[in-house]
Amino acid sequence: MNECAVDRRTVIATGAVLAASLSLGSAPAGARASMDTRTTPLTRDITLSVNGTDHAIRVDTRMTLLDALRDKLGLTGSKKGCDQGQCGACTIHVEGERHLACLTLTVAVEGLHITTVEGLAEGESLHPMQQAFIDHDAFQCGYCTSGQIMSAIACVREGHAGSDEDIREYMSGNLCRCAAYPNIVAAVNQAKNEMERG
Amino acid sequence: MSVGNTAAPAPLANMGEPIRRSESVAKVTGRLVYAADAPGQSPLQAYFLTSAIARGRVLSIDAAPAEALDGVVKVYTHLNAPRRIATPYTQKGGYASDTNMPLTGPEIHHDGQIIAMVIAETYEIARDASHRIVTRYDATTPAATIDSPGVDILHPDALAEKEKKAGDFAAALAAAPVKVEGVYSTPAQHQNAIELYSTTASWSAGELTIHEPSQFVVELANGAAAMMGIDPSKVHVVNPYMGGAFGGKGFMTQRTALVAGAARELARPVRNVVTRDQGFTLATYRSETKHHVRLAADHDGRLLAYGHESWEMQSRHDDYPLAGFGVTTAMYGKPAILTRVNLVKADRQTSGFMRAPVEMPYMYPLESAMDELAFALDMDPIELRRVNDIRESPIDGARFTSRSLMRCYDEAAASFGWSKRDPTPGSMREGDWLIGYGCATAGYPTHMAPATARVTLSADGSARVEVAGHDSGQGTYTALGQVAARELGIDPERVHVAMGDSRLPAAPASSNSLATASIGSAVKLAIDKLRSRFGNALPDDRDRSAAFARLGVSEIGDLGEFLPPGTNPEVLGMLRKGQVPFANQARGDESKNGKPLMFAFGAEFVEVRIHRLTREIRVPRMTGAFAAGRIVNPRTARSQLMGGMIWGMSSALLEATEIDEKRGRYVNDSLGEYLMAVNADVPRVDVIMVPEEDPEVNPLGVKGIGELGIVGTAAAVANAVHHATGKRIRDLPIVMDKLLA
Repeated sequence: MNECAVDRRTVIATGAVLAASLSLGSAPAGARASMDTRTTPLTRDITLSVNGTDHAIRVDTRMTLLDALRDKLGLTGSKKGCDQGQCGACTIHVEGERHLACLTLTVAVEGLHITTVEGLAEGESLHPMQQAFIDHDAFQCGYCTSGQIMSAIACVREGHAGSDEDIREYMSGNLCRCAAYPNIVAAVNQAKNEMERG
Repeated sequence: MSVGNTAAPAPLANMGEPIRRSESVAKVTGRLVYAADAPGQSPLQAYFLTSAIARGRVLSIDAAPAEALDGVVKVYTHLNAPRRIATPYTQKGGYASDTNMPLTGPEIHHDGQIIAMVIAETYEIARDASHRIVTRYDATTPAATIDSPGVDILHPDALAEKEKKAGDFAAALAAAPVKVEGVYSTPAQHQNAIELYSTTASWSAGELTIHEPSQFVVELANGAAAMMGIDPSKVHVVNPYMGGAFGGKGFMTQRTALVAGAARELARPVRNVVTRDQGFTLATYRSETKHHVRLAADHDGRLLAYGHESWEMQSRHDDYPLAGFGVTTAMYGKPAILTRVNLVKADRQTSGFMRAPVEMPYMYPLESAMDELAFALDMDPIELRRVNDIRESPIDGARFTSRSLMRCYDEAAASFGWSKRDPTPGSMREGDWLIGYGCATAGYPTHMAPATARVTLSADGSARVEVAGHDSGQGTYTALGQVAARELGIDPERVHVAMGDSRLPAAPASSNSLATASIGSAVKLAIDKLRSRFGNALPDDRDRSAAFARLGVSEIGDLGEFLPPGTNPEVLGMLRKGQVPFANQARGDESKNGKPLMFAFGAEFVEVRIHRLTREIRVPRMTGAFAAGRIVNPRTARSQLMGGMIWGMSSALLEATEIDEKRGRYVNDSLGEYLMAVNADVPRVDVIMVPEEDPEVNPLGVKGIGELGIVGTAAAVANAVHHATGKRIRDLPIVMDKLLA
């Protein structure tokens, strides 16, 4: 039997203080971080540019871009699969480059151009990568698909779709639990040709 | 569709067209609405605090620092939890997948049990608040692994029927000239669908609406009603699409009633999205197993004795026994058989479905042992299977409705290039890489559950199929549309399928690979009824309007009710209550009272490459051939079989939930640390669908394929590793350090 009292914030905060103290070489015995006493969230009024449209929103400064897209803008195509940058289901483009929306704070992308899966098709006309995913059955449940497609487009633009091996490597940050992987590679190969032509 | 598109194989005999998924465009444009995407009425956010110990008591829990935050609406603990009524375990007349009901007292029965629920205006506030709660525990040393001191090992009488026996095992073993014996183990694993578990509950005029990913919406609706103490007609579960399930969303967990109870008390919609790490302890999982297997044969390879004793990890409060001997004893020969299962009761959450829950952990040791036997006999492992291929059960002589195992072996072997294999371990190399070829059998019983479905045909030639079924990626929408279109003689694009709603005609859990066979059969029966309304011939495009005019209606619908062979009509009533205990299903691996065995089979081949120095393991290619009755859609079927094979490879080489034995806690509860296959792990997978007809299994002649692909792969990988290195690793997953040891 042993007793212990745990509060995760204290553990984390204490760890941080200890680390800082150690780096100064003067860790006081029994150091304990003072609790964060703030009780009201910090908010900011910002303008978010998503898929070519500006949105004026008020956000908690802790709000991730993923939660802002989903809960503030109703753009639920970007998915939460881990909230830790480990699955890729929330992949979006910031200034044309792939980023993980769950690891991006909303306030950090004000003024930048964000593209989500909802911004790819032009009317009823699908992006070649979207069409290729359909043609090659590159999804089953579809939950990781938004992130896969956003990564796949970036993968081609980056020049990382030169070979099957490259595609597999540069698409490995996007988990697909249904395991449509070989079909995803086939889809990227098809869309790559059309993107390079177009 | 481009020519030569491997994703859309041309249909062979007894196969439908490889059409695209009906929801394809919505899936690639982000428009498909999953449970946590449902537009709500600004739900409050619930965030769970889970226990940091696996066994003991909460001495005190101070929520005041959390409640002090602006935007925190309520903090629930065991002292003030929302009112709920306990429901028994699913297989005991209730609805709970785990009967350990959180927030009913200070006791903690497993790692990561819910000890508080914060309700706040926003997710950020709720999470922050949960971290400010101060908990004091009285921790007791848990017993959390099969070999931990303090576990209880039980051998329940209730499992006697699953323990198959034939002949005099001890005498047959003693007399046999060739014997192998081994202890094999499979680790704890988690389903880890990419869609997180979630619940959104809202009340209106005494009625409860729930958006939650569920493989059994009728069960979830009835279970939530039972726990809320209201009539089931007052609960509506809505979940048209799931982001993967793999068993994790099978039966109701305790989370639903907590969230629904809070929503009722606070009179506001409440949403909870379980975090990835919490998902490891707040749902079921695949628990670890251990197996002692003995095989004996004569010099020609004919099996003389098969002994198999197993140990399965269970929670202390519920049992989910696998006892997969119905499957293993349906594979080979006519040996003397002795089997026994032991349940290991420990301080863990209740285990449950995970893709091929029974077959994966039981076929892996059998198929490994068969390879060891082939090696001991100096015999080709395919030929060992051929010598022991059977037409009837070694237990009771029951016949198979169909069995195409050796056709699968022959087609897969030819495609894979098995003839190039030098059987001597370690003999095949390329540079620094040792090459190994391995194979194993996949077998999956054709189970069926009662199901109902309504089909409505309109005068304009369109049709509607309505059923409370589910699609977590299998392609159920598309397949049911094709089944209906074929029977109705119309284009699949003219069929609209509605599912994932508890108010539609009742369907069983989408588990046990039984959805297409069971629901599809109900669809067919509904259309048979429709046909009888038109004088036993459905009108076609030319005479449809006239036929409807004669009946004086613009559309006409009928309900199909499918009762699996051997079940009685009462099970339809149980289905509508969300209760379909396994005893009320037709089980493909049960053969009592003259019922034949019903199985889909496959043969799986794997090439491994193992680095000579580092023992890094790669799998450059896999080939599987499968025979599973009618294939409704070769495109979605291939994707399921391929996904299953990749799951099997992942299970063999990567996946294990590691447990801190001392503290009884999961260590790698994230997608970064729980390794599963990524794209770079899967260069090439060839899927062969072997045509097979089996009109006997059900009205459609369909066997299940959702789980078949995973069943043999792990053993095929292990057998290939032995071929490459001469080392037998009998403990999954096979990782570099086990090869270096």
